[in-house]
Amino acid sequence: MGEVLFETKGVGKTYGSNTVLHDIDMKIHSGEVIGLIGENGAGKSTLMKLISGVETPSMGEMFYMGKPYVATSIINANKQGIGMVFQEQSLVANLTVAQNIYLGREKKYSKAGLVNWAEMNKDAKKALERVDIKLEPGKKVRDIDMATREMVEIAKVLDVVTEAAEGHAIILLDEPTTVLSDDEIQEMYVQIRKMKAAGNGIVFISHHLDEILAITDTIYVFKDGEETAVFPTAEANIDVLYEKMVGRATTGEFYVEAQQSVPSDKVVLEVDDLSLFGVFNHISFKLHEGEVLGLAGLDGSGAEDVCNCLVGQVAPTEGRILIEGKEVRFGNSYQARKAGILSVPKDRRDEGMVSILSIEDNITISSWEHMKSKGLLSGKKIRQTALKWIKEAGIKCTGPKERISQLSGGNAQKVIFARVLESGCKVLILNHPTRGVDVGAKQEIYRLVREMTAAGHAIIVIGDTLDECLGLSSNVIVFRDGLISGSFDCPVDFKPSQQEVVHFMM
Amino acid sequence: MKQKKFSLSNLSQYMVVISIVLVFLVFTILNPTFISAYSLQNLLVEVSPLILLAGGLSFIIFTGGIDLGSGAMVSATCVISGLYVSRFGNWIIPIMVVIGVLLGMLNGVIVTKLKIPSFIVTLCTQNLWAFIALYFCPNGSVAVGMEYRKEITWMTSKIAGIPIIFLFAVVVVILLYIFQQYTPSGRAIFAVGANIRSTRLAGVDTDKAQIMAFVVSGACSSLAGALYAYKQKSAVPTIGDALTLSAIASIALGGTSMAGGRGSVLRTTIGVITITAITSGLNMMGVDPLWKDIIIGVILIVAVYLNSDTKGRDIIVK
Repeated sequence: MGEVLFETKGVGKTYGSNTVLHDIDMKIHSGEVIGLIGENGAGKSTLMKLISGVETPSMGEMFYMGKPYVATSIINANKQGIGMVFQEQSLVANLTVAQNIYLGREKKYSKAGLVNWAEMNKDAKKALERVDIKLEPGKKVRDIDMATREMVEIAKVLDVVTEAAEGHAIILLDEPTTVLSDDEIQEMYVQIRKMKAAGNGIVFISHHLDEILAITDTIYVFKDGEETAVFPTAEANIDVLYEKMVGRATTGEFYVEAQQSVPSDKVVLEVDDLSLFGVFNHISFKLHEGEVLGLAGLDGSGAEDVCNCLVGQVAPTEGRILIEGKEVRFGNSYQARKAGILSVPKDRRDEGMVSILSIEDNITISSWEHMKSKGLLSGKKIRQTALKWIKEAGIKCTGPKERISQLSGGNAQKVIFARVLESGCKVLILNHPTRGVDVGAKQEIYRLVREMTAAGHAIIVIGDTLDECLGLSSNVIVFRDGLISGSFDCPVDFKPSQQEVVHFMM
Repeated sequence: MKQKKFSLSNLSQYMVVISIVLVFLVFTILNPTFISAYSLQNLLVEVSPLILLAGGLSFIIFTGGIDLGSGAMVSATCVISGLYVSRFGNWIIPIMVVIGVLLGMLNGVIVTKLKIPSFIVTLCTQNLWAFIALYFCPNGSVAVGMEYRKEITWMTSKIAGIPIIFLFAVVVVILLYIFQQYTPSGRAIFAVGANIRSTRLAGVDTDKAQIMAFVVSGACSSLAGALYAYKQKSAVPTIGDALTLSAIASIALGGTSMAGGRGSVLRTTIGVITITAITSGLNMMGVDPLWKDIIIGVILIVAVYLNSDTKGRDIIVK
């Protein structure tokens, strides 16, 4: 390993009062491949965004080639010699490969406002050859397969950064292997080693530890926005990595485990051999009265897609959903609610809150048909219901007429909880119920969950963290690659450790 | 910066009240007969059909949609009412409501089931309404036969000095207000306009809410067409040509957000009175009627500009 190319000192990022990344020190040497691992939301992608110029850090300093480094945009970072291959592909499908590679840099090829495409294609061909792919640069991106697109993306980034900083560029790869087959991954390794041999510094993010161990020189472990460990890859050991990723378990008290109910034998919801082609396959489970069933899995494992099917957002391609023994079918969330399933959606701002409406409308929106007197909606009933929940859930607000958009994240989330509880639905799906909520509000939400089960609701929860998933649930099903890879009983005081569960996730 | 936004948002809240006072003040100063009993009675007759049209259209705008063809629908239904009042007598009014429901439902079903933006759908369907109007009245207006006039004059006669046509409009506005405020569909219409995705995930039948908005608007437009036939005592195939613009301007002036989610049919009603007062005031002053639509267009742009400043987006960014 050579000199230090890039360094972060105490870098962090906050959104409002929410700290997503805290005090990160990282050194990227010339010819080094750094592996970055951590659960979803650990802050890996956030750090990449700070380095690549998508976002600016809220604290700390960065240095590139010994000088203070500030990137105002991706293009600005590229010009300095730092480029990133994004997790979601960033190629424009209806442009050609060459146009994509030189997107934003067409000036070089233009004369009097007209672009010399032949010249651009010639250069694009060279850029593609650098990563060993033979491809007609005039082809439209939409006509090439995902793996080739990934390589085009790498060729593009490599071309930009080598132009700016030959031999000392920084290349960030955010989960580059997700769409690749085993052979293609090997090909990717070859390219990474080539970049490395040229003296560049590389950061490689992956959820697959075997890949991390195979290709990296140094491993950084992130958890909850903090750097929990740094090892040379040669000294790393899988068990230690798992432990550092999940950290110490929170005490049971935090999740109000004392009030965790014992599920009854009565099956409320049964999912029977459910499949959604290309997303998940042969999923079967039963949900009992008073049960909290946790679905654990990384992004893309299928857990969330199962929930989307259960709330009628997506129709499964095969299999059955039964509620209290009766098969139900629904094409939208309205029918799902009528069948008795309602969710607290994942994205509170865009899927949960009806932002410019009042708190009372947001609480009663799923139960307006029960708010009538003499055939018309009763403003009094609506207000009383809202007041009841404001008190019961401890929603801090100026009154039921206040707009929900004025509330803090935690209070807005309590409004959504009040909504699903008021709806009278038996099966409640909580998708990341505490995302972006402060610790105090989290606890109150956990308490609400316990009250729900005590009242006989059956709950499916996708936790914001694995810790939360285990803490809240009485049973946990683990998803990996669209299949159920394991299941755990989680009775009070005998919860499985996160390390045990995480093995089935990765 | 923030202070400016705050004051602008306040302004749009009271815009409709400020403007109606201003309009009456200015025109009365310019021409004292503006506020005479006779011209006020005229004004009430004038505003009534437009109140129905704009009141119904408000619901589509509450959902965040638009109906560009509502004026054309007025033309079509005015023609049908004017021609067939001789056959059906006053039954033509409930018949027009049924027809309006069906026409509105056609729009709503295309918008929701085929998932096509309402401005595209209504841009297209308006040609159908225009076709109906011109097909039945290819040679311009047709007057209602003298022998049937006595059947329809009640509408423009007065009770205690107030034109019945205006009372008719008031009753409809009350019904619309009850629908808006006290039915699940009415509330769902606002929720759809505020955030259709959240509303859908809350288990609300958003398709039904959107279709209801179009149905209510269709029924109101048709009724407006019938009222124009009663008022003009003719089938007029061009009556609705400029009405879409006037209706949308009235809604915007009332403070209803074009992005949906906020507003009230009561505010629209005041907006209609203001707009109509402006046009008839200009008329009395002898201003060339060619200017009318330009002035309404300018009002619409100003009103939308003021409204859009208070949209939720600002609050979210904060």
